[in-house]
Amino acid sequence: MKHLQYTDIDYSKLFDEFRHPNNGAVVLFSGEVRDNNEGREVTHLEYEAYEPMANKMIAGILEEAKSRFKLNQAACVHRLGKVEISGCAVVVITGAGHRKEAYDANRYIIDHVKNDVPIWKHEFFADGTSEWGQNCDCVTDANETGHKHHHHEEAQ
Amino acid sequence: MDKRTIKIVCFAGLRKYFGAETTVAVAPEATYSDVVTKLATANPEAKEVLKSCRIAVKEEFVPLNEKLKSVDTLFLIPPSSGG
Repeated sequence: MKHLQYTDIDYSKLFDEFRHPNNGAVVLFSGEVRDNNEGREVTHLEYEAYEPMANKMIAGILEEAKSRFKLNQAACVHRLGKVEISGCAVVVITGAGHRKEAYDANRYIIDHVKNDVPIWKHEFFADGTSEWGQNCDCVTDANETGHKHHHHEEAQ
Repeated sequence: MDKRTIKIVCFAGLRKYFGAETTVAVAPEATYSDVVTKLATANPEAKEVLKSCRIAVKEEFVPLNEKLKSVDTLFLIPPSSGG
């Protein structure tokens, strides 16, 4: 699928191919795997998605960002499967006439991908345990991007 | 009227409680929220995480207070943790 892959993300290649004559600014964000989380040593991550829906939603977020921020180009690829420490888990590239739009759109895209798209992180720790991730840093980001916070919506 | 059986596909941390798939029997008038309540009754340990789950039908999120559409499979979506 265009926005999801089980193999390494070659962001240098993506960046090289990201050319548009109207671009005055290109911003690349790479979300990478840290060796620690909340004081615990992390050995690696594994990502899972509801793939057809996640792929479609990322495409929708990119289209929305392109129109909202007047981007010339936008790209996003998220990893699935095992990602080692320092590996790229997600890349977002935005190209616009000026840097403000490129930065703002890039932030908008990564926030919405993290908060809305059905992708899940399984963290593996050095002590042999593992946990499914709980992202939720969108409490602050939400206000900046207009993201509607759904995580604590009651089931009834 | 007879109840019908709906298949629920589970992802990520939800599989610990329900496996990759489970089923619930629902009344014809049931809402998506009723399905979540049934799941919580089936496994009370999952009650907390179910409060933050969404339901997708045909790759679209549905409002929990809506009546079930005529589909036989729901996708139970726990809080996203990508990136």
